[in-house]
Amino acid sequence: MRKRDRSEKRHRTGEIPTGSFSDIAFLLIIYFLVATTLVKVKSITADLPSGEKSSQAQSDKTPTINLKDDVIMFNDKKVDLAELNARLAALDLAELEGSKRVILLESAKGTPYENYFQALAAISANGGVVALVEDDK
Amino acid sequence: MNKRAQRKKKRRIIPVPIASMGDIAFLLIIFFLVCSEVAKDKTNLQVTLPNSEYVEKTKASVAARVAIDAEGVIYFDGARVDSSKDVEWGVRAVLASTVSDEQRHVQFKCDAALPKETFEPVMKAIAEAGGILEAVGEKNQ
Repeated sequence: MRKRDRSEKRHRTGEIPTGSFSDIAFLLIIYFLVATTLVKVKSITADLPSGEKSSQAQSDKTPTINLKDDVIMFNDKKVDLAELNARLAALDLAELEGSKRVILLESAKGTPYENYFQALAAISANGGVVALVEDDK
Repeated sequence: MNKRAQRKKKRRIIPVPIASMGDIAFLLIIFFLVCSEVAKDKTNLQVTLPNSEYVEKTKASVAARVAIDAEGVIYFDGARVDSSKDVEWGVRAVLASTVSDEQRHVQFKCDAALPKETFEPVMKAIAEAGGILEAVGEKNQ
């Protein structure tokens, strides 16, 4: 009976046991670190100029890329992706100003986004400004 | 000498102060919660992204997110929309309060197999609304 009294007295000290708080907190940190998914979105940046189609004929000197199925044409000459990149790099577009940086991107109906994206990426990487050519209605 | 030895023994029992460990840990939790950015892209789309060697980690913070899934369904900030016109108005509304070019970036996610007729009007809509296109892709391995 005496022993019981003593043990009850020990519990009546009124202190909140905070010893395990740090363990709980660190467990929470570990949970957050493990459960977090870091999303690394990779993209290409393209500032597409907007505006109405000009009635004036585009200058013949403006480089044009045509996409049809898997074929890439640069100024009416068939090229592959590596060659396209080399030709765009040769134009040194990043050093040019304003409208001289414009590259016309024309594509046939049914062109998949994959091909379109690759051409877009090549133009943007070489400092060009992409101008999308609309189909004649 | 005997007393000296006893003193030495007493000094060796040094309790490590761990009372503040809990505070530190909770501060760390609060730090993580405040610093982390919750992903706003809730669509969880099944999209096969196009590949290119030129893609880089997106540095700019995007003002809006536009996506087209494999079925050609268009999403604007996670909500399904009917046409590219809705995207244009949505982007216009978002960009209305922007002041610099850095705030004009619009993320564009599209399935690699989709034809031009599906994605080009949406791209044009973003451009018409004044957005800078951030076309999402994967780096060539």
